[in-house]
Order: sequence, then structure tokens, then C-alpha cells
Amino acid sequence: MYHINKIFVLAIIVLLTGCSIGGEKKIKIFSIEKPREKLDYPMPTALQLEELKWIIITSENAQEVFKKLEEAGIDPVLFGLTDKDYQVLARNFAQIRQKLQETNNLLEEYKKYYEPKEKE
Amino acid sequence: MFGQIKMVITVLLIAGIAGAGMYVMKLRSDNAILKANQFKLETAITEQNKVLEQQKKDFTAILESNKKLNVLIGTFKKDLEDLDKRFTKKNRDIGKLAIDRTEAIERIINKGGKNAARCIELASGAEHTPEELKATLKSEINPECPALSNPNYVPYQ
Repeated sequence: MYHINKIFVLAIIVLLTGCSIGGEKKIKIFSIEKPREKLDYPMPTALQLEELKWIIITSENAQEVFKKLEEAGIDPVLFGLTDKDYQVLARNFAQIRQKLQETNNLLEEYKKYYEPKEKE
Repeated sequence: MFGQIKMVITVLLIAGIAGAGMYVMKLRSDNAILKANQFKLETAITEQNKVLEQQKKDFTAILESNKKLNVLIGTFKKDLEDLDKRFTKKNRDIGKLAIDRTEAIERIINKGGKNAARCIELASGAEHTPEELKATLKSEINPECPALSNPNYVPYQ
């Protein structure tokens, strides 16, 4: 009976401490540097502008111009600009074009710098 | 009496050996730490060198990009000046010219408008046509934006 009790006590001790044999495994923490995903937007689609026709109208050819418009089935009305305003319009368009070019170039440069091609 | 002395010597001897042993252990531990430190320092130097190399490359790329943009802005200024010149060269008055030679000026203005529209298309990223890229003469190049029309075009006076 005495031996049975000893074995019983021993079994309980083994049962309670069994899991601690060998100790807990240490958690290893390590960091891997993963580069940020590339945005990789395609470049904006190029513009395809429609052609328009300028008509010069003076006091001398005005009637002839309107007659030609009527003959061609076009409403005999013109939206006018003075010669000075035409120059301003040309200059404004040149500036818009330059801004477009500058922005596109900046975009390309940013793309090249931050998202270089693998072989570059 | 003799027995006591023997015991003291034995204790001292054991303490001495234990102390020496601990000292050696400490030295070995210090050595291991120093080796680890040395390795870390060497790794850090290699990494620093890599960072410096990358920074050097980045600076070169930034300088090159800045140069390119400055050249581009220079061409913008020149293009605008050229445009102004076309309207005002030799006290030219486009209004009077249009009254005197209406049809010719209409033709020129329409051609100019077409060229300007093409410049906008190119500025928005349109592909160059083979003709545009081959243009070397003043008569062949798009006068509204020569540098944009053919990046290799060299203007002559």
C-alpha cells in the first residue's frame, strides 16, 4: 500500500511537471525588408486633336466669306478675334503646351527615379 | 595546528583555482562579445558603404534630371521668343498683313494652327513620326516646337 502511494505521488509529480521538461522554445523575431509595391501607372494616353480651320475676315472680304459659308451649308456666323487677341491666343496655347510637356517630363523623371526598370 | 594550516592552504588553493577559472571564463566571454562587436562593426561598415554608393548614384541621377529639366525650360523660353518674333519681326503687323494678303495669311495661320496642334499632341506623349525624326532642315521641322518635334534637331542661324 505504501509503495502504491509513492508511485501515485511520483506519477502526479511527473504529470504536472512533464511539459516543462526541455523548456519552452524561444520565439525568434526577425525582420525582412520588403520593398514597397510599385504604383506602375501607364503614361497618360497622348492627345489626338481635331483639325480646325481659321478664316480671316476683313471689311473687304466679309460678304464673300459669309456667302461661301452659306453655299457650303454652314451657318453664316463667325466667332472673331482681333489680330492682337490672336497673338495672345497663340501665346496662351504655347504656354499650355509647355506646361503639358513639363508635367509629362516630370512624371517620366519621377517614374525613372522611383520605379526604375529592372535592367536599368 | 598543522592540520588547520593545511586546511587553510587547501581552501585558498581551491579558491584560487576557482577564481582563475572564473577569470578565464570572463575573458572568454569578453572575447566572444568583442568578436561579435567586431563582426557587427564590419557589417555596419559594409552597409554604410552600400548606402554611400547608392547615395552617390542618386545624386548623379538627380543632377542629370535637373540638368534635363533646365534644358527643357530653356527651350520653352526660346520657343515663346520665337513665337513673338514671328508676329513682330521687322515691325511686322499681322493685322495689316492679313488685310493686304488675306488668303496667304489665312493659309499660314492654318498651317501654324495645325503645327501647334501637333506640338500639343507631342507634348502629351504622342509618338514621333519618322518624318519628324528625320527633319534636319528648317523647312522640314515643325517651327512651333522644333526641340519637341525632333529632339536631335540642331537649329542653325
